[in-house]
Amino acid sequence: MTSYFEFANPTKLCSGKGAVDNLAYELEILGVKHPMILSDRVLEKIGTLSIVLDVLDEVRTGRVFTDIPRDSSIEVVNRIAGEYRQFGCDGLVALGGGSVLDTAKGVRLLISQEADDLLELMGCECLPRGRYVPFLAIPTTAGTGSEATAVAVIKNPALHVKMEYISQHIMPDTAILDPRMTMTLPPRITASTGMDTLCHAIEAYSCMQKNPVSDAYAAAAIRLVRDNLVKAVRFGSSVSARMSLANASYLAGAAFSNSMVGVVHAIGHALGGVCQVPHGDAMNILLPAGMIFNKKACRETYSELLLYLAGPEVYQSVPKADRANRSIHEVIRLRKKLHDMTGLPSTLKEAGVDPAKFPEVAKAALNDGSTIANPREVTCGAVMKILEMCYGE
Amino acid sequence: MTKELMNTVNGIVLQVLYRGFRVLYERDSRVRAEVDGWEDGRMLKLVCGPGGPVLVLQKKEGEGIVKLQRVQHADITMRFKTVKGAFQVLTGQKGVADAYASHMFFLEGDIYKTMSFVRCVDYIEAYLFPKIMSERILKEVPDKQLSSLQVYALALLGK
Repeated sequence: MTSYFEFANPTKLCSGKGAVDNLAYELEILGVKHPMILSDRVLEKIGTLSIVLDVLDEVRTGRVFTDIPRDSSIEVVNRIAGEYRQFGCDGLVALGGGSVLDTAKGVRLLISQEADDLLELMGCECLPRGRYVPFLAIPTTAGTGSEATAVAVIKNPALHVKMEYISQHIMPDTAILDPRMTMTLPPRITASTGMDTLCHAIEAYSCMQKNPVSDAYAAAAIRLVRDNLVKAVRFGSSVSARMSLANASYLAGAAFSNSMVGVVHAIGHALGGVCQVPHGDAMNILLPAGMIFNKKACRETYSELLLYLAGPEVYQSVPKADRANRSIHEVIRLRKKLHDMTGLPSTLKEAGVDPAKFPEVAKAALNDGSTIANPREVTCGAVMKILEMCYGE
Repeated sequence: MTKELMNTVNGIVLQVLYRGFRVLYERDSRVRAEVDGWEDGRMLKLVCGPGGPVLVLQKKEGEGIVKLQRVQHADITMRFKTVKGAFQVLTGQKGVADAYASHMFFLEGDIYKTMSFVRCVDYIEAYLFPKIMSERILKEVPDKQLSSLQVYALALLGK
């Protein structure tokens, strides 16, 4: 832990059953009259978008944009910002998973900085606030935690990499967590996104930028995942399990936004960019191997994590010297259970990754910003070893 | 220590850093591989706090790393928030990763491209600082491909 830390979480949280019903009010108090609604085609098709549009009856909708792909790109963000200006919108509502939310963050960045191309605004903590653009986020997965983070990950197709934008000015003003938004998630995606949340929390708890506040958020997130992920996978209509996972995702997002993530995310971003492995699947596959790699520098923190991963009885019954290993074992056990329940891939082979692409993945991972806060030095050899370990032969 | 003195020390260390970088580009295969991966013309600026010294480097075809006079815009700018923060990093009291985690600098430009420069700084620090310091500020100290004495000698000779 460093001797100085910063913690930013300015986002107002509206969490609970029926939370979306407050959207019109939340927009009103932010002074938004013509919001741009960002979402995707799937949410439009299954009716989730209409739940949101229905509560906006009394607010004129400036523009609804649903043409956002699974991995949003700089081009998509630039195009949406153009439409925002063209249609005279005065605020953003993002309804979707990580890609939609991160797209909205990119659009906010462009509008507030009065720029036309996201490539002009690359950097980390370097931008002034600029013009105020009200921004509300409604996540429809419980995984990315993007509604609580100062990070946007947006694909640069020219370089085949996912680029990170880090600025506290892209954090939403308001995050609305409503179990109706995640109720229709299939078990496999529930499992994958839940493991993404767990990975955020574990990396937040063990990376160099960790601090007492992010630790508290991360620990609370791990407890919620422990008690609710399997339940939500098994009983998808459980409102309490869905709500708990949405809260866990928010907490883990706020945690890692302030403490950063590490090698697991670095390799995960690279696998997404080079091999198109869905982010949650990559986290699920890589997390134990990443923990094994970092154990040398994180024995104490992983020992502490056992309390949140397995509960007080297990924590007490395991000798101190064995707790770090047991924490890793608990993650592997959860992964196995989710694999058995949903078929969620637990190896890169199952995820269809071609090992011939490992060198390209390693190169991209080394240049990912997440490596800098990892507790151990991330070298090409280390990444290759992790990839080989995760391949599953 | 006064701000003026810290600025003076920072300015001197930046010159050593630059010369060390040039030497290692010639003599250390890992530094060479990193820099050879950069596009020609890539410009990096290191700003040591408000009013502090500035180092601008550019990758040039056939020459490796060259120093430029002050430029307005570089592809990547690492800007320390305070002179003291820059002093702590340049004098080996803090590593780059630790300084990042402590929010001591911010970055303008492509994070993806910056990581290669950070690795180069780590290599340079491993040569320029005594082992007791580099072990404290680097997560892992890389092996040396030549001695620190050789690097210092070549750097002072301007090679």
